[in-house]
Formats: sequence, structure tokens, C-alpha cells
Amino acid sequence: MRVAAVAAAVLAAFTTAQAQDKPPAAPPSWQQGKPPAMAESTLHPFAPHLAGRPAKDLPTDKLKVPAGFKVEVWAEGVPEARSLARGEKGTVFVSNRLSKNVYAVVDQNGKREVKTVLKGLNAPNGIVFNKGSLYVAERDKITRYDGIEDKLDNPDEGKVVIDGLDPSQQPGHFWKFLAMGPDGKLYFNIGAPGNIVMPNYMQASIMRVDPNKGVLENVVLGVRNSVGFDWHPKTKELWFTNHARDWLGDNSPNDTLHRVARKGVHFGYPFCHQGDTLDPDYGKNRSCSEFTPPVLKLGAHIAPMGMRFYTGKMFPAEYQNNIFLAQHGSWNRTTKQGYNVIRVVVDEKGKVIKSEPFLQGFLVDEKGDPPMWGRPVDVLVMRDGALLVSDDYNGILYRISYAK
Amino acid sequence: MAVAALALCAATVADADLEAGRRKAELCAACHGPAGNSVNPAVPSIAGQPAQFLSTELFLFRQGMRKDPQMSAIAAGLSNGDLNDLAEYFSSEKLAPPKHRTAPENAAAGPVLAKKYNCVECHGRQLLGQQHIPRLAGQQPDYLLAQLKGFKAGTRADIDGYMTQMAQPLSDKDIEVLVDYIAGLGAP
Repeated sequence: MRVAAVAAAVLAAFTTAQAQDKPPAAPPSWQQGKPPAMAESTLHPFAPHLAGRPAKDLPTDKLKVPAGFKVEVWAEGVPEARSLARGEKGTVFVSNRLSKNVYAVVDQNGKREVKTVLKGLNAPNGIVFNKGSLYVAERDKITRYDGIEDKLDNPDEGKVVIDGLDPSQQPGHFWKFLAMGPDGKLYFNIGAPGNIVMPNYMQASIMRVDPNKGVLENVVLGVRNSVGFDWHPKTKELWFTNHARDWLGDNSPNDTLHRVARKGVHFGYPFCHQGDTLDPDYGKNRSCSEFTPPVLKLGAHIAPMGMRFYTGKMFPAEYQNNIFLAQHGSWNRTTKQGYNVIRVVVDEKGKVIKSEPFLQGFLVDEKGDPPMWGRPVDVLVMRDGALLVSDDYNGILYRISYAK
Repeated sequence: MAVAALALCAATVADADLEAGRRKAELCAACHGPAGNSVNPAVPSIAGQPAQFLSTELFLFRQGMRKDPQMSAIAAGLSNGDLNDLAEYFSSEKLAPPKHRTAPENAAAGPVLAKKYNCVECHGRQLLGQQHIPRLAGQQPDYLLAQLKGFKAGTRADIDGYMTQMAQPLSDKDIEVLVDYIAGLGAP
């Protein structure tokens, strides 16, 4: 009794002193923007098993693809396998956000081997291979590694293409996706530094840089975080996936797929989401009509990641120039959905015809925590036309093939 | 010598199962105590920690991202299978009630700070941890103190930057109160 009374008095004095001397500490960036009504929510993001998990301990038999297709484990033990890039000599490069290394998967003497090719990098999520060089986008810079496929065990020191790409140096969407455009420029995202915040002059954008000149340009703005893009094989237009904000409920807003008809357009963040939904805070006194809407709403919180147009020769003809798109979520939803690779059918002019699940089976318990046993991150069309899918949760790459 | 022996014997078993983990874990007891219940205030208890947290930390030690004179050397020789087996085993053990007794004033002030500084947002309301997030409740106090100071100084490995960021506004007094509170959680 006496202890409790003393404690209460101490507590009262303590909290008063605290309230006076400092503002409350900012929450972690994934919590930022959580409204008071959701204060009791226990929803949280998921992290990968960094040491990987052996495929034999996982329910890979639950994976499902359409009739005629086959899915199998292609490589395992690739820590936090995220973005995929294909070398000219058959090497598959694999990136990650947290492990500081870039890995390569090679076939040697009939055996598939995982090699560590680059070490000590800072969130090297973005990788792309072009004309003999591997480009790696870290948190703050892009570096080029020439002739790397011939010296996987001892690559040359990289040459910095551009740096200064981490304008806020704080948690929240600091990783980059990287792709080489048909114009020979490197394209990458700079995500918003939190869930729903006013971006600074170079955030919430997709930018590009001419690798020979090092000059930066904004390509599009108002993109909360894109971690996947590709160019339509016919129209040559840039398409990208975008993660919408969290904490507006299970069904809003949708994550989205976008087409870039011209440079410089603004897709709405942080004012307008999914082309038609004003943000409760930043959208006051604004209108969605001033922003460019998405071409497809993909579902709330499904976290669309890598996307590529299918240009291989293995799949049936109707798959030509379709988009394969990996869903890494959802977590910010009481009933989970997503965790599939989907197929988006797009016509010659770049109009979306339909979308449907293509690879399913990672999501096993929509109320579970975690609800899934694997998480698709990126897709890559292989030289033989098969499709590789990376899974950072387990450090596994799956191969999807087709046989008549 | 013990380090080399552990690495050697660990490397020979690959299957992720509790028995394998138990065998590989024999030498861990020298520092982490019986079944992962530390009796040294500077060494963490690893019994009952979430398995994903344990395998993640072992991975960070092995990759050189988290550094410690003993743990770096031990982890250097471990395979991914070893990391997972050890994690599964220690996670399956029961955490003994802490010996530490929280001062009454800190028992009252601690929960206020744990909420104010967002500890509960990731570690959970009871600070029991989940998935890749460690259990804090009942952890050894000197270990907790060293980690918080390390995060504040930016010297403690931190894969996503959250702990480094969250530690910045903590005063020395805040850290003292939090450590005293957390280390005594779960005491009988």
C-alpha cells in the first residue's frame, strides 16, 4: 500500500517532469500516421529469416500454378533474396536489403552454386545487368562493376556512377529498385521517408541518371514507394508498381500499377491515393483531379514489388507481353491477402485487359501471425523463357516453366 | 579451443531439429548458462527467445555486421542449418524467472517510458518479443544497458535502423530506469 502510494507520487512527478522537458519520441516509421482509433492494433510488418530456411522444411507442395505450368525450387540458401538480374553468361545476380552482400547463382560442373560476389554494401536492393556490367543501387549511391561475370570470385573495385541519393538518412523506404531504361539511363525510386509524410525535393519519386554523365532527372513524382518497374516491349512506356499508405483500414487504399505516358507527371502522394481517394490529412483542400490515376488497383496492402513484361518463348502465346507482378504483402490488414505472383494482361496499346493469380500458395492462414510461409519479391524472365521468382522470407528462388 | 570445437562439431550436422540444436548448443552454456538461462548480468539469456530473432542475430554475427569478441568467432564457423538448429533449440527452452528486482519507483516509471519511447510498439505490450523482435522482459540488466548505450551511440548493429533511431532521445536516466524495469519483469 505504502509502496504503491510512493510509486504513484514518484510517477506523477516523473511524468510531469518528462512532459515538460521533451516532446514525445517519434514512433518507428512503419507506425507513423497510425490514427488514435487504431492505437490498439497489433498489426506489424514481417522480417525475413536472414539465415534462410531449407525448402525441405517448407510446404512447397502447396504452391499452385495454372495447368501446364510447373513450379520448383531452383536455388536455396540465398540470404534474403530480393531483386534479380540476369548476366549475359547465365549468372543470376540476387540482391537484398539487409545482408550487405550481393550474391550470384551459377551452374558449375552440373551443380548450382551460390557465391558471395560483393560485400559490405549499404542496403544493395537495386541491381541491373547491362552490357557486361552490373550496376548496384545502395541506399546512397549507384556503383558499376565492369566485366563482373568473368571474375565472380574477385570482382574489380566498383566505379561510382552517382552518390548523394539518401537525402534524409532515416529509416523508412531507403532501399532502391534499379532498372536500365531503353534510353540507356538508370531508373530508380527514392521512397517516402515514412508512411504518410511530406516528401522532400527528391523523395517519393522515380528518378533517372545518365550513367555516363551523372546528371539526375525526376521522371515522375507523387510515388510513395515503387520497388518494381519495367518498360512495355511494344510501346516502350515505363510501368511501375507502387505501395500505398498504411493505417487507413483493411480495404483502403489500394496498392497500384502505373503507366507513365509522359515525364514529370505526379501520381498523388501524399495528397491523393489510388487516383480517387484524398488523404485524410494531406488531402484537405486538394482534388484528385490534379493527379494522374493508376491503370490498375491491385488490392489493399498487397505490397506489389518486382514486375516484368513476359518476353520469353516458353509460355503460351497469350502470355507474350503480359506483366508478372510479385505481391510481398499484406501485413497492414486484419485479414491478410496477397502473397501471390499475378498475371496482368495488357494489350498492344498498353491498356489493362485483366489480372489474375499466377503463382499461389504462400498465404496459408489469413488470420495467422505470420499468415504466410514465403513472400514473393521479384520476377525474372530467364533466357529459356522460364520465370524465376525470389522469396526473401526464406532465401529461395523458384522456377516456373511450361510444357505442352 | 572451445570455440574451434563448437564450430567443428556444429558444422557436421545440418538438419533443423531440436536434438541437433541441443547437441550443438552444449558449449553455449559456458557463457549463456544452463539451457540458455544466463547467470551473468552482462550476458543475455537466450532461453525462450523467438527463434527467428536468435537465427537473425547469429547471422549478423557470422556476417560481421554485429560484433562481439566471443560471438563473432563462434558464429564464423556456423552454417545456415546450424543457425536455425541453435535458434530452434534455445527458443524451445523455458526462460527462468529473473533474479533482478526492480526498484519500486522504476516499476512505476518504467512502463510509462516503455510506452513513451515506443518500446512496446515492436517488442509488444508485455515486452515479450515476436518473430525477429527479441523478448526484453527479464533480460540481464548489464546486457540491456550495454545494448541501449550502443544503439544510442550508433555502434550496435541494427539491421533496419529503428533501434538506433528510438534510442536517440533517451537520457542516461531514462536508460537506467528502463533497464531496471525491464530486467525485473517476470520476477516471482
